[in-house]
Amino acid sequence: MRTITTYSLLILVASMVVGGMTSTVSAQDDPAILLKIAKRAQDQIQNQITSDSPDKVKRLFEEGKQQVTALEKALRSDNVASAKEHFLSAMKIFTEISRHLSTANTASDAAPQTEAASVPVRPTVKDPTSDLQRLQGYVNSLKTIAKKYDAVIDFSVLDELFTQARKEISNKQFAQALETLHDIKEAIVKVNKELREEASKQESQRAKAYAQKYLEQLDRLIEHAKKQGVSDEIIERLEIARKNLSSADNPSEIVNEIRKIMSIKDQFELTKNDRLESRILQVEKNLSRLSQVDGVNPDDIADARDTLQKIKRHLSEGEFDAANELLRDLAKQLQEIKRSL
Amino acid sequence: MNPEIVPIHRKESLREDGMLFVRTEGILETMVNAPLIVAGLMVVALTIPFQTSFSSTRTLDLTIYSDGSAHVSAQIDVDPLEPDFEVDLFGPSIDNFVAVGENGFLLSSEIIGDKVTIDTFGSSTITIDYDIHDLISKEGRVWSFSLDSPSDYSLLMPPNSIIVGMNALPSNMELINDQTKLELGNGFSEINYIFGTTNPPTTNPPTTNPPTTNPPTDYSTFAIIGAPVAAGIVGAIILMKRKQSKSSTVLQNETISESKTKVESLDTETIFSLRPNMREDDKEIVKFIYENGGQALESELRKKFLQPRTTMWRAVKRLERQGVIDISKKDLQNLVTLKKELEEEE
Repeated sequence: MRTITTYSLLILVASMVVGGMTSTVSAQDDPAILLKIAKRAQDQIQNQITSDSPDKVKRLFEEGKQQVTALEKALRSDNVASAKEHFLSAMKIFTEISRHLSTANTASDAAPQTEAASVPVRPTVKDPTSDLQRLQGYVNSLKTIAKKYDAVIDFSVLDELFTQARKEISNKQFAQALETLHDIKEAIVKVNKELREEASKQESQRAKAYAQKYLEQLDRLIEHAKKQGVSDEIIERLEIARKNLSSADNPSEIVNEIRKIMSIKDQFELTKNDRLESRILQVEKNLSRLSQVDGVNPDDIADARDTLQKIKRHLSEGEFDAANELLRDLAKQLQEIKRSL
Repeated sequence: MNPEIVPIHRKESLREDGMLFVRTEGILETMVNAPLIVAGLMVVALTIPFQTSFSSTRTLDLTIYSDGSAHVSAQIDVDPLEPDFEVDLFGPSIDNFVAVGENGFLLSSEIIGDKVTIDTFGSSTITIDYDIHDLISKEGRVWSFSLDSPSDYSLLMPPNSIIVGMNALPSNMELINDQTKLELGNGFSEINYIFGTTNPPTTNPPTTNPPTTNPPTDYSTFAIIGAPVAAGIVGAIILMKRKQSKSSTVLQNETISESKTKVESLDTETIFSLRPNMREDDKEIVKFIYENGGQALESELRKKFLQPRTTMWRAVKRLERQGVIDISKKDLQNLVTLKKELEEEE
């Protein structure tokens, strides 16, 4: 018996260790990409090295080249572990060379500048391409959201400003482009305001729907607490909190009331089943998403829905262990459905 | 440098030299209750999938821009019973933050330092997007991206950039329109890159809208469908013209009376004396608005001065900045109104 216990203990520990490791180690899908990256880096560095480059740089480059050759050999002999080592060593060397070359270039660039210090330098304006890209990405997100709300928001001015900014950048008129970007930012503030106003209307409804679900969960908790013989004082506090939540009207009030309930739950260790409830909600949403995917067998979805109903029944009857067990089965069922796609 | 974990084996000599007094085979029975441990471990093992499924990052994608800023896009599983959720951002310099719930609805959020609190209200998945300026540094020509990521992620390098150093092992790499996309694992990674010397960085911004493909044009189809449609449109226009000719006088009167609503405003001379630096073309706009009863739609200004939408919008914004006009919305159009009072410029 002892031996069996010891072995099962070892198996459990080993499975947990292995299970934990799988999430932290990323699989090397194609080790050949390491060679591609290293070769590109090597070619780039080679382009920058001239006969005037310092000897140290030249020596380092030879070392780097050797590491890349070794990487290539390791890959040919399917020695992935060695290939990884050579890749990291080569990249470390190439970084060092780049830093050396960069410093040398900066120093040589600095010299003529000091000589020509008296010559007035025309102020140069930075290319604002990245600013434009960032703003365009942001506006695209806002457009998608506006569409979701069916909000009548006029993006035409912004679109025109973006076209104009692109044109100015391609003509190297960076100062004008910056001015246009300033206008874009101002227009975004306005659009954002309109969109947030639209969103806040629906947020209130979503908050109320959420509060309603929370109240249902709280009812189950109170019921269960009564059955378990939890003190009247705690139940009274929960019932007062329930009353306050049901009368809460706006999103911030709802958040505050729920925070108070959570604090009561924490205080009296009533959070045991929260995780189970959360998990059920999450699985339910996953199931709903899966049911809309093409190619899913409707019978599998029907089976999964059936299991979900059973879980909910167990939950409402306070049979948490049974609900937990079935939930695990359901998670497996959903995994299998996903795999079958 | 081998990243593999090498197990450390206990040396046999330890058992033989008699320094340990407790026999290893008996330790479990002697010190703890084995069935209890087994039960405890089973519970832990069974709850592991549940623990990791909450508040975990489902996808994480980063895009590096040429100026050293980056865009972060993450999809996160959150607890649907929680009213709000706090996310650790990758730094405090954040721009353009957007949080969206699973149904695509905008979620309210508040950023404090490098944390953001999002009102999730029952969402089980949220998507966040933001721009950040804390992930990349530059030394000479070498740019360094560093991130301690909580999950696996993809990284799209800027156009024309060449990786010259990295301390992480990518699991995949692909080239997307002259840009390298890497798949990296969780944990700390540093990537050094420079911009290629052979091809200068492109100044044309890649459009962020999805690329559209132009299918080959089939003119015969256009002709078959287009001819009856065009005939229908022409017919409808003729009918509308006839109707309009009857009611045009009434409509014109209505439009004029609407746009000519007199608004109390300063006269143009006072405005120009208080704003001596006003541009000549802007003065013309002010004159027109004044003559129009103190207010005009932006579209009317465009028609009057034959200016493109952007140019006029700029001019109007300029006047607004100078405090000369107010812009308000009227039937989804911009209504420009001269201010009743004007402060003197400092």
